[in-house]
Amino acid sequence: MFGYIRAHKAYLRMYEYEIYRSVYCGICKDMDRRFGFVTRFTLSYDAAFLALVDLSVRKKKLAVKNERCIAHPWKKTMCATCGSDLSYASSVSVLLTYHKLRDDLADKGFKKKLAAYALLPFFKKAYRKACVRYKPLSEKISEAMKMQVAIEKDKNAGIDQACEPTALMMQAVFGELGKSAREKALLARFGYCLGRYIYVTDALDDLKKDIAQGDYNPLKIYMANNGIEWDGQGKFPKQITDFCDVTINMSLGALADCYVALDMKRFRDILDNIVYLGLKYTYDQVKQEKFNKRNKDRKGTTTL
Amino acid sequence: MTNGKDPYVVLGVSKGATEDEVKAAYKELVKKYHPDQYQNNPLQDVANEKMAEINEAYDEIINRMRNNEYQSTYSSSSYFDSANVRNLIQTGNITEADNILSGVSPTQRDAEWYFLKGSVCYKRGWFNEAYDNFSRAASLNPNNAEYSAALNQMNNQRGGQMNGMPSGYYQNRNQDACNCCCDLICLDSCCECMGGDLIPCC
Repeated sequence: MFGYIRAHKAYLRMYEYEIYRSVYCGICKDMDRRFGFVTRFTLSYDAAFLALVDLSVRKKKLAVKNERCIAHPWKKTMCATCGSDLSYASSVSVLLTYHKLRDDLADKGFKKKLAAYALLPFFKKAYRKACVRYKPLSEKISEAMKMQVAIEKDKNAGIDQACEPTALMMQAVFGELGKSAREKALLARFGYCLGRYIYVTDALDDLKKDIAQGDYNPLKIYMANNGIEWDGQGKFPKQITDFCDVTINMSLGALADCYVALDMKRFRDILDNIVYLGLKYTYDQVKQEKFNKRNKDRKGTTTL
Repeated sequence: MTNGKDPYVVLGVSKGATEDEVKAAYKELVKKYHPDQYQNNPLQDVANEKMAEINEAYDEIINRMRNNEYQSTYSSSSYFDSANVRNLIQTGNITEADNILSGVSPTQRDAEWYFLKGSVCYKRGWFNEAYDNFSRAASLNPNNAEYSAALNQMNNQRGGQMNGMPSGYYQNRNQDACNCCCDLICLDSCCECMGGDLIPCC
């Protein structure tokens, strides 16, 4: 997935962190079991958030076991078992990663292309398997991807329009979780706002690269419209970060409204941490160019 | 939105019922179906379902009442049927509302138009555009309370406000008592260097 949805670790309690990790661990194992060994390496903490929301909405308890794991073979860690049913999160992770890889094939960078070529064969079968189970969702995702390609070709879309495909994708992913019509609508809007957050953060993260390679980026359109000149060297200009700040803040404000209305009881503290602290913290890290894709803060960069 | 059921039927009140009547009917039903009475009872699930239905119906009716109260104070536009557009937005028919708004020629777009366009954008999740439209509406008609309320709410969000944020998060920076004393002592020393005195006793 994208890797921008994570908890602010410094503010998690120890046992919360263990639960968070065990969910991640459980999804990883589930992916291995159902989709094959290679797919598990593409997992990110985004899926753990999705799984926590899923469990919380369904009011399921988490079943954990001490197990060994391939990433840390020397010690046993807490791991959510299949009794918790994390299949939705792992399927969505596979669906989204597959489309991401397809998208990377069109990327100009050689490294990304190569990685996509190497990984795609492993995902073909997994993707088909996930598709069978979540047909409408996979259709919505591929539709959104097509929209994304069209927007990137057009190269004129403003920020709202540019966010739409990712936002619609997340809207579909989260909307699927709701049981009643009200819950579905709230979760869908929650997902939409989350998608906007992801896209804007990603756009800022990629801005330097896109300026260097001459690729489309909605922030470049914003720069052109407002007469901001910047060659992509050094710090982000204040006007750009200010614009991203308000865009992110508006999305998160609307997201919080839905989150409050949903009133999820289970895993409340972890979800609170991610929604109120983690998202902003991650965005701040991106803004200060301290963001690390592998969910490990560089030493000394954690800010409280 | 009560899964197709008429909320008035669910609560068993007539369409012309007053707020007090609705509240009384609601209380009566809650007493009857409260899940606490059905603990360890096979009927518990049914009771839970019924409760959810009643709650939803109650919310819906009260919302409608509040909206109607509001409706009488609505401003309107001379160029298009704004009551209709408002109604469409209310019922969630965003595409239709947007179509009507797009049909208004650019020369005839007044404050009401910008406000409704902003509402449509907000519902769609196009917050940046919504903000632009709300500010336009508020600047065209600064006296309208509804427009400025919408703009205010967005301004709060732009400032980073998130509803339901637990207190205590992110607020314990620079509020350390030790640090405060330390700062004062330093300040006092500095003053003394220059011949003055901030804290006379030390």
